Order: sequence, then C-alpha cells, then structure tokens
Amino acid sequence: MSIMLKNTINGLDKILFDEIPKGSVILVTGAEGTLKSGLVFSMMTNYIAAHDEHGLYVTLEQNVESHLRNMNSLGIKEEGGLHIFDYRDMRLEWMDSELDLIKTTEEVIDSYKEKYNNLTLFALDSLNALYSISENGNMRNKIYNFFSHLRDEDLTSFLIMESAQSRISGQFSQFHQIEHFLADGTIELGMIEGKGGVKRYIQILKMRATKHAMEKHQLTINDNGINILGPIY
Amino acid sequence: MKTSVENVADLCEFSEDNCKKFVDRIIKTNREVFMMSSLLEKQMCGYDLIKEIFSRCDVFLSQGTVYPVLYTLEGEGLLHAEYSKGDMRSKKYSLTLSGRKVAEKDVEDFAKALEQVSLLLKR
Repeated sequence: MSIMLKNTINGLDKILFDEIPKGSVILVTGAEGTLKSGLVFSMMTNYIAAHDEHGLYVTLEQNVESHLRNMNSLGIKEEGGLHIFDYRDMRLEWMDSELDLIKTTEEVIDSYKEKYNNLTLFALDSLNALYSISENGNMRNKIYNFFSHLRDEDLTSFLIMESAQSRISGQFSQFHQIEHFLADGTIELGMIEGKGGVKRYIQILKMRATKHAMEKHQLTINDNGINILGPIY
Repeated sequence: MKTSVENVADLCEFSEDNCKKFVDRIIKTNREVFMMSSLLEKQMCGYDLIKEIFSRCDVFLSQGTVYPVLYTLEGEGLLHAEYSKGDMRSKKYSLTLSGRKVAEKDVEDFAKALEQVSLLLKR
C-alpha cells in the first residue's frame, strides 16, 4: 500500500516517480532556512485536505502559535485534521522532573492514534531538538525502538533533522549515521550558489521501493506555496 | 512448605495486586472520563490533573497520555484553557458549558457501565 503524496507539492512528481509505501520513515535534512518544516507541513496539510485522514505534527523547536505564524508567513494554511503538538506546557509544568522525551513522544502518538484511528501521517520537528533534551544513555537503542514504533503504528513519518554543521565538518555524528541507516528515505534540502544567485534545492538521496530522480531540483516559494522546478546543473 | 495461613496471605496479596492491575488498566484506558470528572470540581493544569488522579486513584497517568487529551478536548470546544494570572508556567483548564454537560453524562454512563459489567460477572 502506498500513500498518495506526489500531488501534495507542485512539481513533486518531477523527483518522485512512484508513491511512497505507507509506513515509511523519511528523514528530511538540511541547513537552517532551507524550508524543511515548510515542506513537511505543506505536504501534510495538502494531503489531509484531500483525504479523510488525520496527521500529527510534533514540534519541539517552537510552540504551536509560533509554528503556525511561521507557516502562515510561507502561505501555508492550517488544516483541521492535522494536529500540532508542542511540549511547552509539559516542559514548563514539569521543569523539576526529568522527562524521557522519546518515550513521551511515543505515548503522544499512541494517544492521538487512540483518538483518531485514521491517523496516518506523523512528523517530528526536529530530531536534533529531541536529542538535545533527551538523556544520551542508550540513545542508539532508543532511536531504533522509536523508528520501530513508527513502523508498527503504520505511520508514514517525516523526521526533520538539521544537518548543516555535520556536513560542513565532513562527517555525521554517530546518531546521524544511525538515522540514515534506519530510515526508508532521505530528502535533502539545501542552498546552492550559481550564476543567478543563491537557489534552494531539493534532492532525494534515498527512497526505498520508490523510483525517484537523483538530481538536485530547484525549490521555490511564492503565494501559491512551495514549488519544485527543474533540475539544477 | 508454607503454612496455609501464609498461603492465604499470599493469595490476598496476589488478589490485591491483580485488582490494582485491573483498576490501573480501566483508569488508563478511560482517562478522558477521569480527567473530565476531576475538572468538574475545579480548573486544573496537566500537572495538577496527574497529581490529583494519582492521589485519588493511586494510578500514575504519564504526561504523554494526559496532555494530548487536554489539547484534543480543547480543540473540540469541551475545555477552555487560560494561563494563571502572573504565572505563565501553568495553563489551567476548565470545562466549557458543553464540556460540563458531556463530562456529567460520561461520568454517569461510565459508572453505569461499570455496574453492568460487575453484574455480568456475578451471574
């Protein structure tokens, strides 16, 4: 079974030739300002708007209001079936307690799944934030179990990960290596400087069981939202 | 060999543990009813609710199971949330008019359902 995501972004079919298998876990990586959150949120809202399904977007980096402000400034509108969860209240009220945020995120997913049995899409913004707040002990196992949990729940998942620093230094951190091995797909977003100035790009580095383009394609944003244009050579 | 008195004590202890296990499961599965029941009495934040249910029922509802329920009930218009005056650390939830009606009905129906289940088991 596949999830019909190809039509959620204008031009996505230029780089994705098949639909992605349901329950895939996809990393969306890139430097800051490369539209990682915007791309994922846009795909999810457009998918939910066209299907009688629910989605869950968990944000650790911002609260719901600032995330929505940010998305609105990109021309991306909120969609009723897409639930946004932030940890602000929990973290403020439980300041003195140590929260296992990976386990808590799994519980949050289960709670929404209990409420909406047609919850099919999940996003975490971001894995970096999750690591920075979580205890490092046994993180490899925790991440492995977290990925397994997402697959068991049959959620097509987007895990956002800022990767600029590790790419610049030429090596991924140990956690980043694990995610790349475990994920079914990796979408990289970035910026490239050419004759016409700086351009944003999108490139699918890996997508299991799905035919896709290998080239970098230009990514733009206008009043109609996010668009994928032709390849950048 | 244990004496029969010790065996009975073991059995009672097991029975208590077993009973606690069922209560635990019932409350966790139906936490929405217990949370709304607590909110019938006063407005509370997520932290207060977890503490209240723990002290009343001896069951710890984890944060990841409580806050999503608060947010979805708020989204459905059954709860109203506001930050306490001078304390932006805790968001207090109270039942809206429709939330109060739903809560009262759910608590009543839930109690009836438990009675029915109990009768069914005694047959």
